[in-house]
Order: sequence, then C-alpha cells, then structure tokens
Amino acid sequence: METSETVGGTAREPSSDELLIAGARRGDMRAFERLYRMHSGRVYGLCLRMTRRPDAAEDCVQQTFIRAWRNLSSFEGRSSFATWLHRIAVNEVLTQARNHGTRSESDETLVAELDKEQDGDGPFDAADVMDVERALHSLPDGARHAMVLQALYGYSHEEVASMLGIAVGTCKAQVHRGRRLLRERLGLPEAEL
Amino acid sequence: MSSRRLDALDETLAKLPKSVSPERDLWPEIEAQIQAERQLKPAPRGLASRWVQLAAAVLLVVGSSLVTVVVMRDVPDETRSVAQVEAPRPETIAMPASFAGYRLGEDYLKARAQLDAAFEQRLALLPPAAREKVERNLNDIRAAAREIADTLAEHPTDPLLHELLMSTYQSELQLLVDVTHMTPAPATRVQL
Repeated sequence: METSETVGGTAREPSSDELLIAGARRGDMRAFERLYRMHSGRVYGLCLRMTRRPDAAEDCVQQTFIRAWRNLSSFEGRSSFATWLHRIAVNEVLTQARNHGTRSESDETLVAELDKEQDGDGPFDAADVMDVERALHSLPDGARHAMVLQALYGYSHEEVASMLGIAVGTCKAQVHRGRRLLRERLGLPEAEL
Repeated sequence: MSSRRLDALDETLAKLPKSVSPERDLWPEIEAQIQAERQLKPAPRGLASRWVQLAAAVLLVVGSSLVTVVVMRDVPDETRSVAQVEAPRPETIAMPASFAGYRLGEDYLKARAQLDAAFEQRLALLPPAAREKVERNLNDIRAAAREIADTLAEHPTDPLLHELLMSTYQSELQLLVDVTHMTPAPATRVQL
C-alpha cells in the first residue's frame, strides 16, 4: 500500500496531507481522491477488524470519506489527518453497529480478506497471521475494538477512550482483557506481574 | 520474564498488516455521492441539517421569550400589582442536570437556586396572562434543552450541539434574570 508505518495512526507526512487538504478544500476532487488513495487502506483495515464484515467495512469507508469531504473545513490540523479520519471511521462503525447489530462474517471470509495483504516488517508466516487475525476476530466487541485501536493502530488509551466514547479506565480494562484472551487463544504464556 | 512475554504478543500484533485493500475500488461511489451533493446544494450538511433545525427551534423559542419580556415591560405597574388571582400553571419542566457525561457545575447550581427563588417570588406578582406566557416560554426553552441534551447523548463529541446547549442554558438564565429584574419587588408594609 501507499501508506507508511508510523506510531499513533499517522500514515503520511503531514506536509503532503496539508497540501492535498488545501486543494480539496478548494473543491479539487483529484486532491481528495489522492487523500483517499493514501489513507483508505488503513481506514479499511481498521473498519474490517472492528466490524468483522467486509461489506460493512466498505460502507464505513465510503461514509467516512464522504463525511470527511463534507467536514474538511472543520479539520483544524490539531491531530494528523489520518487520526481525524480514523475518528470518523470509528464513529461510523459504532453507528452501524447500533443500527444494524454486530453480525459477523465467518472466520474464513475475514481472515482471507485480511490475509491478502501484509505490510508488517520482516518475515512472518502467513499461517501465524491467520491465527492472530482469527484470535482477534474471536474477541468480544468491546475488547476487540479497544485492542484494534490501541495495540494495532497505536492510539493511546486516552485517544481510544475518546474515540469509543468510554472512560479511560474502561478502555484499559478492555485492552487488558483482550490481551489476556489473545494470549490464551494464541497459546502465549501468561504475563507475570 | 513478563516483559519478554508481553513483547511477544506485541511483536505478534505488530506483524499484522495495518493497511488492507478492499475487494473493489470504493472511490467511484464516493466521488459520485460527493458530486451529487455538490450539484444538489452548495453547502451540503446531511447530519448538520438536524442541528440547524434544532438551532432554529431554539432561536424561535428565545425570540418569543424576548417578545414576552418586551410585552411585560409595557404592562403598567398597577396591573402587575393586582396579579393575585392564581391562574392554572403549566406543568414545570426542569433543565437537564447532566448531558453527554457532564454534570452542571456547583457554582451554576448554587446561583441557579438563588435565581429560581427570586424568580418564583417575582413571577407570582405578574398578571395571570403574562405569568402563563413566561412559564410557557420557559418550558419551551427547557424542552428544547432536553431535546438537545438527548441528541448530544447520541453524538457526544459534536461541538455544535455543545455550543447550542450552552446557549440554551444562557437563554433560560437570561429569561429568569429579565423577569426578576423587571417586575416590582413584593410590596412591603412600609410601602403600603
């Protein structure tokens, strides 16, 4: 994908984003398309892991970018554009879950979708990736949402709590629970305190 | 070692792809919808239109409340002082005491309690028709505040809703203050 890996969900050098955002604010659709091409992969990955359904994740991505276009003027640059997009995406996922429930796709469909692409560093066995995705998929909604945002996309507990509309303490508890369940399901040893 | 074990999980998670390509290109549909919105109206605001409607409702209520205040200023003093006949009072609606996870501050509640007491005292001196109108307007403001607070519960991070709710609280306070300052104080034995 075109995105680069950095901490905190930032997917692109801010100056590039800023130029494109300025263009999009002036009504330049090509600039906005470029922003879409740069960020949609991460937004889709996040939505797919949160919704567990490719069709629902696609809807969320589309709504995220449509809402982003509508609200470009309110983007103040206090966070990165990627973080701003992810906030919108999480909101879409939660709204969709409220409206349509959280029916999930089978493990195989989701894992196959997630297994198509791999941008992690270094060699990694595809079977391991599938195991981890399957284990993530099996987590309860609350723990999975918090784990995906905190452990996978690198947001702080405070940011995750704000995105999900929960208390920071609740977020920490969900991540703790998620980590414990993941360790169990992946056969990793329990952490010692 | 616990840190090594935690690292093992983190390393495992770090290997997962953050970016995943959807099955199909979603851009054409996104672009089509944006273009359709641009052609339909110059300033499209799907969700925002609800807030604008709410804002319009609040402005209407505040506007009518101000009219009430102006009308009451024109009521002669002697008319006010004969407001002893009890008119049926509309059911009182209270302002929301909390919204979107926030609770009103103690300073506000304290000032509010004092103002409420003064307001009730002065309200009793108004002619029944004027009193009824003030109470109706007050209830309208409070109902609007509750509606905004309920919507805010669904969209707790919406800055426009926060602003709207704050302005509604201010409008309610302003109406209480206006009525309290405008009506004459209860007659004392010396004045009689």
